Formats: sequence, structure tokens, C-alpha cells
Amino acid sequence: MKNGFVIFLAAFALLITSWSAFVLGPQLQLGGAKQVPVLNSTEVYPHSRPGEANQGLQVYRANGCAACHTEQVQQDGVACEVVLASPGKNPSAVSNLLATLNLHGLDVDQAQAVADKIAAAGGKTETHIVAVGPDIARGWGLRHSVAEDFLYDNVVQLGSLRIGPDLAGVGARLPDANWQLLHLYAPKSVVKDSLMPPFRYLFEVRKIGDAPSPDALNLPQGFTPPAGFEVVPKPEAKEITAYLLSLHADVPLYDAPFTPVVVAKP
Amino acid sequence: MSEDIKSCSTTANAEPTAARSTLPMWILILTLILLFLGAVYFDRHSGWFDKEVYAPYASAAMLDSYQPKSGAAAALAQGKKVYEQICGTCHGADGLGKPGQAPPLAGSEWVIAKGHNRLAHIPLAGISGPITIGGKEWNLNMAAMGAALSDADLAGVLTYIRSSWGNKAGEVTADDVKAVRASLGGHPQPMSHDQLMAMPE
Repeated sequence: MKNGFVIFLAAFALLITSWSAFVLGPQLQLGGAKQVPVLNSTEVYPHSRPGEANQGLQVYRANGCAACHTEQVQQDGVACEVVLASPGKNPSAVSNLLATLNLHGLDVDQAQAVADKIAAAGGKTETHIVAVGPDIARGWGLRHSVAEDFLYDNVVQLGSLRIGPDLAGVGARLPDANWQLLHLYAPKSVVKDSLMPPFRYLFEVRKIGDAPSPDALNLPQGFTPPAGFEVVPKPEAKEITAYLLSLHADVPLYDAPFTPVVVAKP
Repeated sequence: MSEDIKSCSTTANAEPTAARSTLPMWILILTLILLFLGAVYFDRHSGWFDKEVYAPYASAAMLDSYQPKSGAAAALAQGKKVYEQICGTCHGADGLGKPGQAPPLAGSEWVIAKGHNRLAHIPLAGISGPITIGGKEWNLNMAAMGAALSDADLAGVLTYIRSSWGNKAGEVTADDVKAVRASLGGHPQPMSHDQLMAMPE
């Protein structure tokens, strides 16, 4: 073969280039990722999942949940909102001024300009950062997903198809374990138009013994087992529920800033 | 006929080979233009491979400009930073203090008092002599470590120690610190336990 060595070198260079870009580069960039501080807080993020939830990740994987559910919230943009913290000594002037100003969907410089105007009138403001995008509007999360969200996931279940909703923040959105169990056993019992197939094999329908099990599901009319029987979650069902409840990517980080809604301490 | 065959065989060309030809100029120019546009796009949108910069942020500077900087949460974060740089050396990052160096702040009745007045005097004026914390007597001196801090920074520190490690006491604002600093005057002397107790909480 003519030029055999040149062809070999070219093919090798091509291979090295793609390997560097797809394997070496990401490894150098994110391979050493560790917990990061939560913005404006004394906490760090993320924490490793508790054992049961970690098992649940494998149940999630085994049942192919990622075929219909993603775990990645997208974000199109970022905006500032100017929020009045205190009207100051001249509330009527400030409220007249507020009526003329646009307080939402600003960029940093515009927000600063608006805050300065209100400060000149004597009002005190706070600038809030909010993520913007269809996923955020659907209530799936407060910010886009970032690498840290997946730090402790042994097999990352990003998913690519959204037949069902995104689950990156499901633990924050639907924190009731009982709801999750009902939804796994009979999705239509809690979401009328659900497309999700029921995962009945994660549960056991058994005859009630001496006393009903404390774990038995409290199913609504139309989904109840025959009289004298009860529906009890198997360990897999409890594990996947623990996993789902552990999914809450809802803290502000340096690479995904937003201003959390502060719930006043009682 | 035989002549045809003969002419055929003798006039057949040798096996064709690829010759080196010059690259058309337009391809070269097009490639350079595309490379240039690609580089401009990369420069504007990539964040130069910074691992913290994702879309919609185009650069580290843009990401930095969107960090929340105002509000109570930001003050608390700033307070934590200052605490760990200055106060934490003796009082500990966990607020538990160090025997012989500094008393604990976690659970200390001085820190979690209803009002911040006595607490704010300690870093602004310093303290000397015996003081009781959690039923234990400490006899140490602290210089006016907070006098050099800005009102906002010291307010952040006080808010941080009042709301961390299980402490649950109210916020201290920069205006509060300013008022205490003004009441102390220019060169305050370290306070004693009795002087502090004589002040309103």
C-alpha cells in the first residue's frame, strides 16, 4: 500500500483528537468535581444520597424510567427583578415611581439603574436573580441542571425523551412518599390523564393477615384491591420512592445563581 | 479488424493516477471565513472552557455579574467569609471556641441574647476580665477585633454568629452597628463584664 504510514498517522491523529475532546478534556475539567458551597448559605451541595435512595437509582435504571423521563432542567436565560424591600420615608413618591418603572425581566445594568432611581426616591430595594425558560415556567426547577447535581449518581440518568415530566426536582415538587407510591401502583389514581404505565409488580397484593399492614396503600375508589386483600409496596417500590424524593436540585450555586424565595423563620 | 485490436491495445493509456492539483482559491477563502466566524462565536459564547460557565451565561464575567449581591442572604454569606478569616481563628469555624483562647459562640447567652447591643460592643470595644458563658467562667482578653471592619461586614458577622450552629437569634443590620460604633466614640476601652451588664440588652 502506497503512503500506508501517512494514512496510519492521519487516522491515529484523528483518533487522538476525538479522544482528547470527548474523554480527556471532560475528565480534566470535571473529573475532580467535589461538593460546592451553596450560594449565600453555610451549606454545601450535593450530599450523597442515603442508602435506600441509592438503591432506588438502580431500580429507576432497571425499569427504564429514563426512557420517558429526563433529569435535566434547561434554562434559556437569566433575568433580574427589582423588589421593594422597604418604601422608606416617602411611600407615595416611591409607589408613584414604581408605577412608571419596569421591574421584571431586566439585565444587571438595567436592574442597577432601576434600583438607583428607587433609592433616589428614598425606597430600599433588593435585586433578585431568576432563571427564565419553558422548563422553569413549567415549575420543573428553579434553575438549570449543572454538573454538581449528578456528582453522586453512579449511572447518571439524564434521559433524552420527555413523554413524562422532568424529574430533576421531583422530590421538591411532590415530597409526599405516599403520593409517589400511589402513583407508581396506579398512576391514574392520582393523575387523571397520566400516560405512565402502572408498575404493579413493584407491589404485592396479598391477603390481609391478622391485622392490615401499616405500609398498605390507601387507594382511592376504583383502584382498591378485592375485599380482604391489601396492596403492600415491595422493597424496590420503597427504594425508588426514596430515590425520587432525594431528587431536588433546587439550591442556588455559583454556576447556577438565582435568588431563592426566603421563607421567614417562625 | 485485427488492426483495430492492435491499435486498441497499443494506444491504451497506462493506469490512471491522481495528480497533485492546487487547491481552488475560493475553497481556501471560504474555509478561512468559516474558521473566523467560528472563532468569533466561540469567543462570545463559550466562556473559554470555564467549567462553571454554562449557557445562558456567555463568560465568567457575565456569570459573576449575576451573583446575588444584595439582601439578607448575601450579607450572611459575607459575614461567614469575614468570620472565618478573622474570628474563626480563635472561636473556631464551628463556633465552639478553644480552651484557653476563646469561649464558644454556639449557644452562648451573649450571642443569642434578644437584643444585639451588648454583643455588638464586644468586637467594637474589646473585652477584658472574667465573663460567664454557659455556667463556665472565662478570664481572657479580646482586642477590638471588629473595630476595623466596615459596618456592613461586622453586621454580617454578628448575624452569622447569631444564626449559625443552632443559634437562632435575630438579624443585625449595618445601621445597628453604626449606632453602637457612634455611641462608643473614637478610641473605646475594652469592656468588662459589669460594664456590659450595665447596658441595655
